[in-house]
Amino acid sequence: MSELIEGKPGQRYLLMGNQAIARGALEAGVSVAAGYPGTPSSEIIENLAKVADEANMYVEWSSNEKVAAEVAAAASFAGLRSLCVMKQNGVNVASDFLLHLVGGGTRGGMVIVPCDDPGALSSINEGESRHFARMLEIPLLEPGDFQEAKDMVKWAFELSEQIGNLVMLRSVTRLSHASGSVKLGALPENRPRARFRHGGFVLDPQEGAVTSAPVAYKHVLQQEKLEKAESLFEDCPFNTYTGPENPELLVITSSACNLYCREAIEILGVSDRAGLLKLGTTWPLPKKLIRTHLENCSKVLVVEEVIPFLEENLKVLAAELAMEIGPRTIFAKRDKTIPSVGEMNPDYVIAALVKIFDLSYEAAPADYVEKAGLCVMAGAPGRDLTFCPGCPHRASYWTLHNVLALDNRDGFICGDIGCYSLGMRETGYYALKTMHAMGSGTGLASGFGKLDQFGMDQPIVAVSGDSTFFHSVIPALVNAVHYNADITLVVFDNSGTAMTGFQPHPGLEVDAMGHDAPSIDIESVCRAVGAQTTVCDPFDMELTRDILLEKITGKNGVQVLIFKQSCALSPEKKGKPRYEMHLDENICIGENCGCNKLCTRVFKCPGLNWDEKNQHARIDEVICAGCGVCASVCPTGAITKKERA
Amino acid sequence: MQIYGPGELLDDVLQTGLCISCGACVHLCPYFATWRGKTAMMFSCDRKQGRCHAFCPKTEVDLDQLSSKANNADYTGAPMGAYQQVFMARAGDKSGGGDFQDGGTVSALVRFALETGRIDAAVLTGRNGLMPSPGLVTHSGEVAAFAGSKYTAAPTLVSLNDGIKQGYGRMGVVGTPCQMTAVAQMRSNPMQDSDFSDPVALTIGLFCTWALDARGLLAFMEKRAPEEEILKIRIPPPPAGILVLETQSRTIEIPLDDIRSLVPEGCRVCPDMTAEWADVSVGAMEGEDGWNTLVVRSEKGLKLAEDAASAGYIVLADFPETSLSHLNTAAAAKKKRAFDRACSQGLVNTEKGGRAVLRVNKQALEKMISEPGGIHE
Amino acid sequence: MTAAANLLSDPFNLVITGVGGQGNVLASRVLGSMLTQKGYSVTIGETFGASQRGGSVMSHLRISSKGTWSPQIPKGRAHVVVSLEPTEALRVLYEYGNPDVYVLCNTRPVHSIAVISGQFKYPEQDELRQWIRDLSAKAWFLEATGAAMAMGNAIFANIMMIGALSAADILPVDKDTFKDAVSNMMAADKVSVNCDAFARGADMLLAEGISGA
Repeated sequence: MSELIEGKPGQRYLLMGNQAIARGALEAGVSVAAGYPGTPSSEIIENLAKVADEANMYVEWSSNEKVAAEVAAAASFAGLRSLCVMKQNGVNVASDFLLHLVGGGTRGGMVIVPCDDPGALSSINEGESRHFARMLEIPLLEPGDFQEAKDMVKWAFELSEQIGNLVMLRSVTRLSHASGSVKLGALPENRPRARFRHGGFVLDPQEGAVTSAPVAYKHVLQQEKLEKAESLFEDCPFNTYTGPENPELLVITSSACNLYCREAIEILGVSDRAGLLKLGTTWPLPKKLIRTHLENCSKVLVVEEVIPFLEENLKVLAAELAMEIGPRTIFAKRDKTIPSVGEMNPDYVIAALVKIFDLSYEAAPADYVEKAGLCVMAGAPGRDLTFCPGCPHRASYWTLHNVLALDNRDGFICGDIGCYSLGMRETGYYALKTMHAMGSGTGLASGFGKLDQFGMDQPIVAVSGDSTFFHSVIPALVNAVHYNADITLVVFDNSGTAMTGFQPHPGLEVDAMGHDAPSIDIESVCRAVGAQTTVCDPFDMELTRDILLEKITGKNGVQVLIFKQSCALSPEKKGKPRYEMHLDENICIGENCGCNKLCTRVFKCPGLNWDEKNQHARIDEVICAGCGVCASVCPTGAITKKERA
Repeated sequence: MQIYGPGELLDDVLQTGLCISCGACVHLCPYFATWRGKTAMMFSCDRKQGRCHAFCPKTEVDLDQLSSKANNADYTGAPMGAYQQVFMARAGDKSGGGDFQDGGTVSALVRFALETGRIDAAVLTGRNGLMPSPGLVTHSGEVAAFAGSKYTAAPTLVSLNDGIKQGYGRMGVVGTPCQMTAVAQMRSNPMQDSDFSDPVALTIGLFCTWALDARGLLAFMEKRAPEEEILKIRIPPPPAGILVLETQSRTIEIPLDDIRSLVPEGCRVCPDMTAEWADVSVGAMEGEDGWNTLVVRSEKGLKLAEDAASAGYIVLADFPETSLSHLNTAAAAKKKRAFDRACSQGLVNTEKGGRAVLRVNKQALEKMISEPGGIHE
Repeated sequence: MTAAANLLSDPFNLVITGVGGQGNVLASRVLGSMLTQKGYSVTIGETFGASQRGGSVMSHLRISSKGTWSPQIPKGRAHVVVSLEPTEALRVLYEYGNPDVYVLCNTRPVHSIAVISGQFKYPEQDELRQWIRDLSAKAWFLEATGAAMAMGNAIFANIMMIGALSAADILPVDKDTFKDAVSNMMAADKVSVNCDAFARGADMLLAEGISGA
C-alpha cells in the first residue's frame, strides 16, 4: 500500500513534492481535504483520497475550486483541520468565497495549497496565487525543498489555528512534480469530533455566526491576525540563511528557486561572496529578519518566478529602512537581471551571478553546443502535442471540423480547458478558435449567439469536457438557454477528468475515495434546463456528422450534443484495443488523386505512419490503440477493422 | 486545357464565387464535399494536378478541345453549338406520364434508355424543399420522382461519381450545360489514368440561361413561404418575367428582377445555353405549351430519339423556323454576355501561366462577342 | 539501507528522455527508488504535462550523497542520457550534453505528427547514430522496443533501458536492487516480467560491449 501512510517515522523516502505535502497533511491530522484536479496539483488530493479510509479522512474532488474551498471551510468551522488544493487558476475561481472567508476567519486549522505553474508547462497562463495572499490579507508560506513541502504543512495548520485564519501554502510545478528525499514524521492518533458552534455571542469567533460582517470590526481583526503571523515569521524555522556574515551579495529567494540559487552559487564557487537568504514566509515579510540581513550587505539579488512579488515587497521594506540603514542596490526583475516570464532554472541564476560578479562561465564547450544545435535542427523534428492514439477527441474534432467546413458559413468553435484544448493545434485540425477559463467556451458562445442582430451569421459551437461541464459550464448553459442564443454545445463526455489523470467527477458513480456515489446525468441536466439534447458516439462518424449538421443548420436556440466515448487511457480501455486494424497496401492509393495521404497527412493519428519507400500508409502496431476510427476516414477502404475476441 | 490542382480550384473557383456547385469535384476524393447547395473544401490537398480541377466546368475549359473530341473540329462559336437536327418533342403514350415541366421529353427518354438497356443507371436531380437533391436511379419507375425543372444550381454530378464507385459503367446523365461540360471533360480522361473506362453511355443536356443559388433562394423564400409547403417552382417562358411558386393553398409570383442577385457569378460567365456537349439537349418550347425543344447532336442521340419515337415513348414534330431563329438569338446573346464579362475580367485565353476560365480560338471568340444581343435574360 | 558508495561525480546527473506514453516517468521513479535504497539522496525533476500526449518528455535525476539538488540539471551538465527514442537523445544533448556524456539509446523511432504528416523527414538510423556518437564519449544503441515486443508488450522498453544502464558500470545498481524497488511499486504479478525485462536489457548492453559502440 502507500508509503504515504505505511512509511516509518524517521526514515527517508523518495517522495514527489505533492506526496510530501499530502504526508504533511496526514502528519498534521487533517480531517477533510477537497480540491479540483489541475496540473500540477492533482496528486495531493489523489494521494490523500487513496488513504482516506485508513486515515479516517473525508476527501473529495469537488465540482469546482470554489466548492472545494467551501467544503474545506465547513470542516474548519466545525473545528476540524482541513485542506483545499488547486492549481493556480483554481484560486481565481475560489477567490470570491475566500475573500469572504478570510474576513470572518477560520476555527479548525485551514490551509489552502495552490500549485502554481511558472512557465505554463501544463497551463495556458502563468497566473500566480501569491498575490492572492496579499489581496486576501493572509499569511503565505513557500516550501524551498521536498522536506519542507512536508514539514511546512503541519506548521501551516498550527499557524492557522494560532491566528484563526486561512493560511496559504504555495507550491510550484518543480516542487509538486519533482521528487526528493523526505524524512517522515509521526502520524497522529486521535481525530476531533465535528461540531459547528453557532449559538454564542454573534461576534464570538469560536461560538458565534461566521461571516465577514460587520466589516469595519472584522477587517481590523483580520489585519491583527496578519500582524501576529508576521511576528511569528520572525522566528520561523523555514527562513534560513547560508553564507558569510557580511556577503558581497545577498541572494533572497523562495520556493524551488532556492534549489537553483544553491546550485548556482556552488557551481560558480562563490559561496564565500554570496549569502543565500531562503524565505519560507513570503507574505507578510518578517521585517526584523529582513533588516538584519540587509544591514550586513549593500547588494541584493532577488530570485523568483514570474511576477516580482518578493521583489516589490522587499523594496517596500528597503524603502522604509533606507533612512536608518541606507539605500540598497537590488538586482531583480525590474532591472532585467532576472527574466519576468517563464520558470527559473540554475542557469538563469548563474547568468545573474556572472553578471553581478563579472565572472565568465561556459555550460558546455561552444563548439559542442554548436554541433549539437545543428544535429537537432537536422535530426530532431518538432514534437507537437497530439491527442493520444484512440482518443475520442480526434474523431470528435474531425467531425466538428468537417461539419463546419461543409456548412461553409465560417462557423467556429469556442472551447476551454482540458485535453480538448488541443483542438487549437494541428491535432485538432485547428478547429478550436477561442480558449480561456474553465467553462468560458460556453459563456463566449452564449454571447456570440446574440450577435445576429448585428449581422453575424456564423454558426457557433461550444465544446466542453464532462468534468468542465460540472465545474462551470452549467451557469453559462442556463444563460444561453434563457437568452435563446443560437448555439450548439458539444460535450465531450469521456467519462473522467482525463487531462489531469482521470479523476472522477460528479457524473460518475464513484467518488474520489473509490466509494459508490450517485451520478449526475449530463443529458438530463441539459434537458432540464431546456436545451434540445442528443447523445451520440463520436466513433460513429457518419451519424455524428448528420446530427451535428442538423443541429448547426437551424436557428433553434441552444442545441446540446453529447459525444459519449471513454478516454483511451481510461481503466476500462487502456491496453485493451477494441479492434485489430489492418491496412491493405494494395488498396491504399497513397499520394494519388483521390486520397493524397488523407490518413497520415491530414488525419494524423500517431498510430499511422507513411512508408516513404513503398508509398503507402501503414499501421504502427506499437502505438495503434485499435479504436477503429481510421477505417472510417480512409477513402478507399484500405484500412479495415476486425473486432478482437 | 491546363490542369492544376485543388489549391488553384479553391483560389480560382470556390473563393471567387464562380463555383456553381455542379458536384463534379465531389466524392472523387475526401477533400471536396457539398451540402445544401454549396461545395466546400474540407482540408487542403497539395497535389499539383487533380481530377477536381480537370473536371471543373468553371476553370480552364478549352472549347476547342471539347469540340475536337465531340465533332473532330475546332469550336465554331455557333450559338447552339454543333447539332444534327432540332425537333419539337413531347412524351408519348408509352412514357407513363409524370409531373413534368413542359413536354416530359427528358423523363420519357430516360425511361426509354433504362428500359432498353442503353444505360444501366441514370443520374438525375430531384428536389427536397427548395434544395436540389441528386440521385442515381436504376429502374424506370423511379424516374418520375425527379421530373420538373429545379432552377437552382445542383450538385448532380456527385451521383455520377457515386455511380462510378458503385461500379455502374453505362450511366445516363441529365444535367445543365455546365454539368455537361464537366462530364465531357471527365470522359476525355484528362489525367490519363491507365485504368480509365468511360462510365457514361448517354448525356441529356438541359437548356439553361442561369440558375439560382440554392441557399440564397432559400433565404429569400423564408420570408414568403415555408420551404416545406412549396410544391412546385416554375418560370413561365418570356415575356412573363416571373418565378412562380405553388403551395397547397396559393400561388406566389416573384418578379425575376427581384431574384437576379441570386444568380451565381459562375452563371454569368457561362456561354452555353443549349448544353452543347450532350448527346441530346432539351428545353422549353416557346409558345407551344406541352412541348419541348429537342436538339439532337450525336449519332447516339439521333438513334435514341428515333427509337424512342418509334417505340411511342416520345412524339417528335418539325421545329418551326421562327422558333429556331429565336432560340439562336437567345443562345447567341448568352454567349456574348458571358464572353464580354469573362473577357473584361481577364478570364479568357490568358497567357504566360495565367489561368483562364475559358479558352477558345480567336475566330470563334470574335464571332461570339460581335454577335448582336437583343434578347433579355 | 546501505551506505552510499562513491559516485563518479556528486551530484551525478542523469536524464531519461522519450516520448509521452513510453513510460519515462515510471523509469525515473524506479531508478530513483533503487538509488534511494542504496542510501543516496535522489532528486527527480520531470514534466508531466505532455506525458501522455506525444510530446517530448524528460526526467532529470540528481544522485548525491550530499542532499537535495535542483530538479533541473544545469545546462551542459548531464553525465548520462538514457533515451527511449533516438531523436529525443539529440534534443537532450543539445541542452544538457557535453563531450564526456554517455548515451544509452533505444533505436525505435516514434514519429511525431510533423513527421507523420510529411512536414519533416525523420532522419536515417545511420545518421542519427553518428550524430549521437559525435556528441558523446560513449554511446550504446539498443533495440529495446523490438525486444520488448518480443516479450509481449512494447512498454517494457523503459525497464530494459534501466537494466542496460545497470550493466554499464555507471551506477551502483543491479537486478536485486531493481527487484526490491519494483516489489514496492508494482502489483506482485507484474514483478517477475519486469525483472525479466530488466535482465534482458542488461544482456543487450553487455552484448553491445561495455565500452559502447
